[in-house]
Amino acid sequence: MDYLLHILILICIYIILASSLNLISGYTGLLSISHAAFYGIGAYVAALMSLRLESNFLLNILCAIIISGIFGAIVGFPSLRIRDDYFVIATFAFQIITFSILNNLTSFTGGPMGLPGIPQPVLFGLKISSHEQFLLLTGFFTVCVFLICRRIVCSPFGRVLKTIREDEVFAAASGKNVAFYKVMIFVIGAGMAAIAGSMYAYYISFIDPTSFTVMESIFIISIVIIGGAGSLWGPVVGAIVLVALPEVLRFLGMPSSIAANMRQIIYGALLVVFMMWRPQGFMGEYSFTKDTSNE
Amino acid sequence: MIQIIINSIISTSIYLLIGISFSIIYKIYKFFDLSHAAILTCAAYICLLLLNLQKIGAGIFIIAVILCSIMGCILELTILKYHRRKANSKLILMLTSIGIFIIIQNSISMIFGDETKSIRSKVVEKGTQVFGATITPTQEIIILIGVIVSIIIYLGLKYTKIGKSSKAVESQAEIARLSGINTNQVIFWSMALGSAVAGLAGILIALDVDMTPTMGMNALLMGIVAMIIGGVKSIPGIALGALLLALSQNIGTWYFGAQWQDAIAFGILLVFLIFRPQGFLGKKIKKATV
Repeated sequence: MDYLLHILILICIYIILASSLNLISGYTGLLSISHAAFYGIGAYVAALMSLRLESNFLLNILCAIIISGIFGAIVGFPSLRIRDDYFVIATFAFQIITFSILNNLTSFTGGPMGLPGIPQPVLFGLKISSHEQFLLLTGFFTVCVFLICRRIVCSPFGRVLKTIREDEVFAAASGKNVAFYKVMIFVIGAGMAAIAGSMYAYYISFIDPTSFTVMESIFIISIVIIGGAGSLWGPVVGAIVLVALPEVLRFLGMPSSIAANMRQIIYGALLVVFMMWRPQGFMGEYSFTKDTSNE
Repeated sequence: MIQIIINSIISTSIYLLIGISFSIIYKIYKFFDLSHAAILTCAAYICLLLLNLQKIGAGIFIIAVILCSIMGCILELTILKYHRRKANSKLILMLTSIGIFIIIQNSISMIFGDETKSIRSKVVEKGTQVFGATITPTQEIIILIGVIVSIIIYLGLKYTKIGKSSKAVESQAEIARLSGINTNQVIFWSMALGSAVAGLAGILIALDVDMTPTMGMNALLMGIVAMIIGGVKSIPGIALGALLLALSQNIGTWYFGAQWQDAIAFGILLVFLIFRPQGFLGKKIKKATV
């Protein structure tokens, strides 16, 4: 039973991650391979605060959101000057630098040893310890994030984002401050990823840099793309499929050493297949089919 | 200090090879083909496999390079050609290549395991002294191959017929086709050449610092960094970029320690992408047109 709950909690965390990345990549059209970096920054901020300052759970999450949001602005800024594949490489660079800092700044982040023993969160005097309680808490945040995403997408703000995705010059010509919108959506997306990060840190109670690698970023973007970029339910479907599907391998009696590789091969293959025959994913409306550069 | 320069030159020649192989493909296809990393890794592991089967000396390196080239061609004929016909965007192609990369890398790590494998002879090589710095024969070979292959490709692209037509295809594919150039053939041969050079780079890396399944991505990213900071279109530019990258990495290692190499490389890349996206010898300006 705990195993099932564990999978559900993971699915919730990935729904948060994928939904927030969907705002950036699906709705605004800025393909980014740096989401695991925000995820990691959130996790590390929450973990460090609860370990060093022993501060309140909600305060930690808030700080994680703010700090991750600041980094989001830093990554969003280059999107004003560079685009398409060059921007992907820039986000890639940010992801690798973040990983390298988490991995090597040993005195601060614990380096490859990670940060063990993160205390369980206490919410209004109630200690969250069992799987059920964690699922409720993560589920609550997931629903919040989903509703915020829906609010953003249905608002005038969201329509401007879609306009930027379809035709940036037109958006600017209509008097929209494209720079502001692009940076803002990165701040929002990064903040949401930080929620997922802090939930992960509290749930596992141990974090190390290997959870926030380039591969993790690619996994999150695969969820968005296979689920369907530019649709609200796409990331939800993608997260359920991509997190739950590899668990089937476990029941086929595959040794865990091979299963980890198999899992990645499966989503690599899904990525190739979807790009060939259904680039918009299961339920998406946007498929990165348009080149925005002026060659 | 001399040792730093020697080490930089060794890394330069490897980065240069990767940068060239990647730019050959990037110029024609105009997308970041990350599956290149997998081909590079494959070369090293094919060598390992052949070496385990039988010892036939230098022949295995040539076989491995040819196999890599064939692998690139298969990818081109099956997947990339399909996308090209549908005129899909470069982001779709890039995502496809990431998928291919993940599949191949994980297959390798499933078959061979994650630990470091070596194709070097077990004997510790005795380095020779050059201006007070040590350099092993393997490293001399790496530098030599890097320089010779780069020069051959540079001259080949400049003076042979296929090199010239590839230049035409990369600047205006439509018009090149109209003027009677078989674009499909040019693209095919570019892929073959690019993959072969990538394979060669992979073998050289394996000879220098052994192999792991993840080596391809790290190496390819360095090649991409060298290519971007040097300017995509010119091989001398890539050489300068590779030299700058290698020097700053080795000097950075001297001051901060080897663990910061990646951060330094990508820090430089970010600075270049933001302030001079065309590289320092490039001419093409690629930025927002709002």
